[in-house]
Amino acid sequence: MLNRLFLDIKKYYQYSMASAKAKLKAEVANSYLNWLWWILDPLCFMLIYTIVFGYVFNSKESYFCIFIFIGISMWDFMNKTLVSSVKSVKLNKAVVSRAYFPKYILILIKVWINGFKMLISFGVVGVMMIIFRVPVSWNILYFIPILLTLGLFTFGCACFLLHYGVYVEDLSNVLNVVLRFVFYATGIFYNVSTRIPKFGELLNKINPMAFLISAMRQGLLYGQRPDLGILAAWFGFSLLLALAGIRKIYKAENSYVKAI
Amino acid sequence: MSEYAIEVENLSISYKGLKSYSIKRNFLLGKRNKPATFLALKDISFRLEKGEILGLVGKNGSGKSTLLKAIAGIFTPDSGTVNLHGNTVTLLAIGVGFQKELSGRENILLSGMLMGFSKKEILSKSDEIIEFSELGEFIDKPVSTYSSGMYSKLSFAITAILETDIILIDEVLSVGDARFKKKSYQKMKELIGQKNRTVIIASHDRKAVAELCDKVLWINDSQLMQIGETAEVLRAYDAFMD
Repeated sequence: MLNRLFLDIKKYYQYSMASAKAKLKAEVANSYLNWLWWILDPLCFMLIYTIVFGYVFNSKESYFCIFIFIGISMWDFMNKTLVSSVKSVKLNKAVVSRAYFPKYILILIKVWINGFKMLISFGVVGVMMIIFRVPVSWNILYFIPILLTLGLFTFGCACFLLHYGVYVEDLSNVLNVVLRFVFYATGIFYNVSTRIPKFGELLNKINPMAFLISAMRQGLLYGQRPDLGILAAWFGFSLLLALAGIRKIYKAENSYVKAI
Repeated sequence: MSEYAIEVENLSISYKGLKSYSIKRNFLLGKRNKPATFLALKDISFRLEKGEILGLVGKNGSGKSTLLKAIAGIFTPDSGTVNLHGNTVTLLAIGVGFQKELSGRENILLSGMLMGFSKKEILSKSDEIIEFSELGEFIDKPVSTYSSGMYSKLSFAITAILETDIILIDEVLSVGDARFKKKSYQKMKELIGQKNRTVIIASHDRKAVAELCDKVLWINDSQLMQIGETAEVLRAYDAFMD
């Protein structure tokens, strides 16, 4: 299977990039403020959360608005990719019934699109770090393995969602509930390990989103080294998850066309 | 002995698990829906030499489209094999299509890439495609703004200009208005007349099949009834349908 995977990625990589580029372009062409929305969207949510949680609930985190912005950027990437993967086979019926291609390429396209938007968000994070004069250490380089892990984890989950999304009609309803729960257990606008009594530390380890986001904050904002053991563990897990997802899709993808 | 372009052996395809499943229904009723199985193709075997043109006839729902999709690699067989000997293949069919939010130009590129052409090859031919499709400035507008005629013109132009080794045509011998119909029919004749091109045409247009095809394959109720000389098979088919 690895051999086939390697050949397929080589063969369809260009297609996935071209497709992502075309979709980003179309998105820009159709909206009034076009690409500004990619920045405005997380920026607005950051403002809301900063007001609500910074002033109303009186959060004590330093660099609170960047703290939130990092959380939103990474969460949005995962959230958007997963939500869109559930229906991606049905929505891409036109392409799916045109020619054969491995169906996880549909997810890869989403990962490129949302990843590109996330990178723009991180550009904004960089600018904000300069404005707020955040002291920088070499630890910011951990953003690379952290984002790789996030990408792999998201891809792996999305593969399974794509597969079951073909057959299970109401999967997206269930997914929305689950994602909302994970959203609150991830600490986009608070620090999971200090705010949640007793379980906080543990939750920060067993919820990959919470771990990755807080690791990113440690590296970028607080000059700390993330827990490399846990990062490696989540990377390994994500890799296995992604491979299992691809395997699942390879086995079943030919019946997708019959089901839609 | 001449070379085979398409070899289909003991091909069977069934549709199963067609009914989708809902978590809610499952909870409420406490039972799983049994997947219904429907045999769409049963034990089909035939070979086609390079350059041959095969007509595919049969009544609605007999399995013609399924067979073309299997040859195009969109379905894999439940049993049996399809061997194309490394030839590139396209399926030209109604409703097989484009990403609506993207422009015609982007769709040319993306469809071409899925058909196995490189970006460079497609870009070098895209002007020709745009000209043939007669879309003019609409080519840079989203496909969702196209009329159905424009849609099929673009679809046809891509297949006609990019020229894969094997072309599979499902019920689209004529698209567009009367003039484009004539032009596309001419182009089709020119395309399938080329020595190395292998073509399968599924059509209810008896006259076109008789005129274009070297051989005809007749499917009825998922099974191969007859394959052979055009005139002979069509006569049997006509007799059967009457």
